[in-house]
Amino acid sequence: MASGADIVVKNLTKAYGKFLAVDHISFEVPKGSIVGFLGPNGAGKTTTIRMLTCFMPPTSGTASVAGFDVFTQSMEVRSRVGYLPENAPIYTEMRVAEYLSYRGRLKGIERSALKSRVESVCQKCWLGERLRWPIGTLSKGYRQRLGIADALLNNPPVLILDEPTVGLDPTQIRETRKMLADLAGQHTVLLSTHILSEVELTCQRVIIIGRGKILAQGTPEELKQECARRNSSGAKLVVEVRGPAQQVKMALGAMPGVENVEILSDGPVCSLSVNGKLDGALRELIASTVVERGWALREMRTTGTSLEEFFVQITDPGATNPSLAA
Amino acid sequence: MFKTLTIARRELMGLFYSPVAYVVLVVYLLFVGLLFALLVLAPGAVADPGPMFAWNHLALMFVVPFITMALFSEEYRSGRIETMRTSPLSDFSIVLGKFLGALAFYCVIIGSSLIYVIILSAFGRPDFMPVITSYFGLFLMGMLMVSVGLFFSACTQHQVLAAISSCAVLVTFGILLQGIGGLLGSIISQPPAWLGTVQRVMNYMSLEPQMQHFSMGLVDTSHIAYFITGTFFFLMLTYLVLESRKWR
Repeated sequence: MASGADIVVKNLTKAYGKFLAVDHISFEVPKGSIVGFLGPNGAGKTTTIRMLTCFMPPTSGTASVAGFDVFTQSMEVRSRVGYLPENAPIYTEMRVAEYLSYRGRLKGIERSALKSRVESVCQKCWLGERLRWPIGTLSKGYRQRLGIADALLNNPPVLILDEPTVGLDPTQIRETRKMLADLAGQHTVLLSTHILSEVELTCQRVIIIGRGKILAQGTPEELKQECARRNSSGAKLVVEVRGPAQQVKMALGAMPGVENVEILSDGPVCSLSVNGKLDGALRELIASTVVERGWALREMRTTGTSLEEFFVQITDPGATNPSLAA
Repeated sequence: MFKTLTIARRELMGLFYSPVAYVVLVVYLLFVGLLFALLVLAPGAVADPGPMFAWNHLALMFVVPFITMALFSEEYRSGRIETMRTSPLSDFSIVLGKFLGALAFYCVIIGSSLIYVIILSAFGRPDFMPVITSYFGLFLMGMLMVSVGLFFSACTQHQVLAAISSCAVLVTFGILLQGIGGLLGSIISQPPAWLGTVQRVMNYMSLEPQMQHFSMGLVDTSHIAYFITGTFFFLMLTYLVLESRKWR
């Protein structure tokens, strides 16, 4: 196992007959980090997660979690992983505290420590006021929180969360993100999600999976840069200036590194799109030139380099494997 | 073992929360009440509750599948099986826990028939030893029935299918085997020697002769062996079904 990694996956494969749901994937999740696991529906995310949580064995390859092999040391892995499955299936007839106590006993928490652990996770997941409520009467958001509380119950070193913010309202989503950010350092988190903004805000690294293969992995910034690099003709700087459009166009076109300037809209406030080497120096130069000429700079933004665009591009069935899929 | 008992306790509680379980309890009490009124509480009859216990299996073979049908099927359907099987629990603990939970509820059901024994003792002086052996027999039979139900529940995510399959097998053990054995003997005028062996095996595998013995106060080790090996066989099959699902 590589030192400093809590999840190590090597050539992991899952085949259903001739269909390869997961096709020789390899990745690592560093200790104490939050890693986003992204992919479109049917990409192999849940299958990979199920293999990592020992729900199903791999067809070939190896994976270790918290230093234990998922196939040969399943019980050690299971006692060190907090897992939130998709849709958080729970016994609806039980009450919140009762369910968590039941789960705690199954996870081997000492009777003396059980009550304090239940209270602690309930506080962390904002369930304090619902302790006596039957689960069947809880909203989906509360059930999701209960699933997260269950995953945190035995304070496991590794957390694997499958769509933890599904069904939550915007405030709860923000709070869950904050909670996940707080968990970094104490726990290693593998977060499967479709919500790209969530990944950008909470994850230190991102793994993108598609058609059973790892398509890209790196930090969100690295992926955005890769998107800009692959998409050099597509990445544009949109500048909105209060000033004469033609003069602004000429001024921008004369700048070093600028290949092409196009007027998007004319009027008292004009909008122009700039192609070329769109680095920080160019943006600074544009800002200072606009001010020097007595025009007003209203907006400057880069398009074509967001994680979302990269995700769409990379998971497109016609896309080729980029260099970041190391 | 602690985790097994935790699962058993949850299953028992889950059954008490389910309306089906109460319907089943009422149906069973009605059936046993009918047996009690017709066979035991007859004017001038001996105060012997034996006949009431000897025919108990006729109700239980339809009642038990309703107790066991959801044990695994509902876990599969709801997806809770994933939570359960990714917890630090062995598959055998899960199987045994669910078995013990359902068996405990079965004991509550058969225990409810004690009311008829109490009524009988108010009117006469029944011999309590056959009552004890009858309950012992019912307990052993319950082990077998619950393990059969558990097995079929582990085979499918459709509760109704699990219940119907369990009923079919239990009816085979409860009525059909003995019936077919008897039928073969009556339609073949000069039966060959092997047919006698087949009839004996069918008779031994049937629930009714076993329960007749227990209700008369007879505790035969061959009957105990029959129920225990049958239970063990179906529990092992359940475990294998659960294990095999991992590989699909």
